[in-house]
Amino acid sequence: MSATLIIARSEFLRRVKSKGFIITTLLAPLALIGFGAVIVVITFVSVDAIESDLRTIGVVDETGFVLDRILADGNAEHTLIAAEAETAREETLAGRYDAYVVIGAGVVTGEEPVRYFAAKGGGFGIADDLRYLIRDAVRKYRMEQASITQETLDIIYTNVDLQSVMLGTEGEEAGSSLAYGGVGAIMGFMIYITMLLYGTTVMQGVMEEKQTRIVEVIVSSARPFSLLMGKVLGIGAMGLTQLATWAVMIFAVTTFGGMIFGLFMDPASLGLEASASTEDILAAAEITLPSIHFSVFIWFVLYFAGGYLLYAGLFAAAGSMVEQQQDAQTVLLPLLMPIIVSIVFISPVLQSPNSTLAVVLSLIPFTAPVPMVVRLAVTDIPLWEVLLSYGLLVAGFVGTIWVSSRIYRVGILMYGKKASLKDAVRWLRHG
Amino acid sequence: MAILTLRGATKRYGAVTAVDHVSFEARPGRILGMLGPNGAGKTSAIRMIADITAPDEGEVLLDGHPVGPWSQKVMGYLPEERGLYRKLKVGEQLLFLAALKGIPRAKAKEKVHYWAQRFGLEQWLVRKTQELSKGMQQKVQFIAAVLPEPRFLILDEPFSGLDPINSELLREIIFELKSAGRTILFASHRMEQVEQLCDDICLIARGKVLIHGGLREVKRSYGRNTLFLDFEGDGAFLAPFLRAGRIEVKSRDARGAELRLLDTRVPRAILDAMISQQVNFYRYELAEPSLTEIFISEVGES
Repeated sequence: MSATLIIARSEFLRRVKSKGFIITTLLAPLALIGFGAVIVVITFVSVDAIESDLRTIGVVDETGFVLDRILADGNAEHTLIAAEAETAREETLAGRYDAYVVIGAGVVTGEEPVRYFAAKGGGFGIADDLRYLIRDAVRKYRMEQASITQETLDIIYTNVDLQSVMLGTEGEEAGSSLAYGGVGAIMGFMIYITMLLYGTTVMQGVMEEKQTRIVEVIVSSARPFSLLMGKVLGIGAMGLTQLATWAVMIFAVTTFGGMIFGLFMDPASLGLEASASTEDILAAAEITLPSIHFSVFIWFVLYFAGGYLLYAGLFAAAGSMVEQQQDAQTVLLPLLMPIIVSIVFISPVLQSPNSTLAVVLSLIPFTAPVPMVVRLAVTDIPLWEVLLSYGLLVAGFVGTIWVSSRIYRVGILMYGKKASLKDAVRWLRHG
Repeated sequence: MAILTLRGATKRYGAVTAVDHVSFEARPGRILGMLGPNGAGKTSAIRMIADITAPDEGEVLLDGHPVGPWSQKVMGYLPEERGLYRKLKVGEQLLFLAALKGIPRAKAKEKVHYWAQRFGLEQWLVRKTQELSKGMQQKVQFIAAVLPEPRFLILDEPFSGLDPINSELLREIIFELKSAGRTILFASHRMEQVEQLCDDICLIARGKVLIHGGLREVKRSYGRNTLFLDFEGDGAFLAPFLRAGRIEVKSRDARGAELRLLDTRVPRAILDAMISQQVNFYRYELAEPSLTEIFISEVGES
């Protein structure tokens, strides 16, 4: 067995058997669900918090009808009190009103704004609530003046829906492009997270070997390049194992999760017969899971592997340049920039996956993995473009690994001083 | 024929020449002591021998062939700056390092157990390295170096951090390896250890070899110019000799003194003085200079 394989095997087994790996692999999906739940809870709690924030507002109504209409509709949750222009100010400063508004006669024609006065600036929430209440009352008044009835208005406001349909060689699929976007975003995000996670794992490993000085013993038995590649491949294999486990878990949830969900749905409530199949129930409940072509998953794995190899070597080189944890940040920053760029642009790429920006980003090896996986999930890309992008990525990682190994073999044996980027360039040129 | 030969080996780091046209050799079945002050270039020379770095000039030969991946397989190396994976179990650690040397797993297991037994570490093989004391880790590192049964073994400061009992055990094992025909390069700046262990020495300072040869021959070449005296009292009897410039005090402690003799008749005169002044003395030894003395005089002069 070659030294690279021995090292890769040892790295892989050591990490896969560790408690940390098992816990992360099993708990990360749960943590994700928990995180989602927390967001939902926070969202509802904050809505409650706004609703419970009821105030007493003085209303100086110069139109003579707005306040009456608001009170008659009964939509106002705040306590609204009719006030005189002369006294409202004092009442508010004295704290008997939380704020007051002046509805001038010109508000009806739009010639003058409603003026809102609050002692401590108030909150946007209250001002907004008042604006909507007054706006609705004024609009109703204007409609009556123009002899427009509520029926006419309902006709005008009837919604226009848009249903998107994916065209494919195997037929059309009615589904929302939102679902595809969601899958694309998740895949892109996964690539981003895993490149960072496994890249920094490589860096930590290199730093540990340098800090403990075991590296000196290892390089007396194997070439530094073998050590570098063994570490990168071993941790990469660990990453693939983790991704595969997650894939199986996701597959299980989407397949059996639907079935379980179906068991608890009462077919009658969906207007189906009691003997209806699970698929029928899911279809009737309008639960559609986007069907992603299998090749997208293959490309996902390929782009993960390519992106990981591109960055892992560089992370290793960065790790070889520092001895102390706190020095790691400075060498990490230039590495993180392109990764961050690729995630920052995930939203525009989702919006228009065939824009020039998206194409350019997916051709540059350093940013390619994230946008390309997003685009593959949401749109059709000509094969030549995918192959060109991947070819450049392969050339990219061959290059970065070559560069990294030259920095690495000097860096790991350098003690006592923190290497600068200038040093790294010198090592690169002279070895 | 020498097992290891350095011929004009030179290593530069930027503007610094760490090893400057160094030539020496190690003879089979002997222990070569490599001495030198800190920063002399010992580690740089060792790294070239272990094929961790390549010389910029000159050559490093093992059995007459340039060192390379092949020689790494037959060499054991205990670096001065050494360590182990903290979270890995001791046994797995040793098996991993043995695998890198190309030892089949079954054979490696056998050897790990043999050496663990020699060092009393059997019950520690299943523990994580970070649970071991520093001294125990030292022993594990030594085992890693001897595990491949190397024909050529590099030990850089192997005694640092060991208590006297373990130092004695290690010394015993080093002599065992020597009688089994292994060649050992022993690097240290502890002169008394080199003096006890080594057959040959190579003194390096500022990247250059100052002295190289058999320990006895080197010492003999300096002549019997040292007098070790253990005596009672303040040593006032030495004052006239000092004033006359016939001796120099190399070292002085509670028991006595080490003197450097600057004229051939002075040993006899000192003996006469002690007897006539009725000084009680327990040791009067005319000797070759200690390695420490040679070291200081050579490094100081260069």
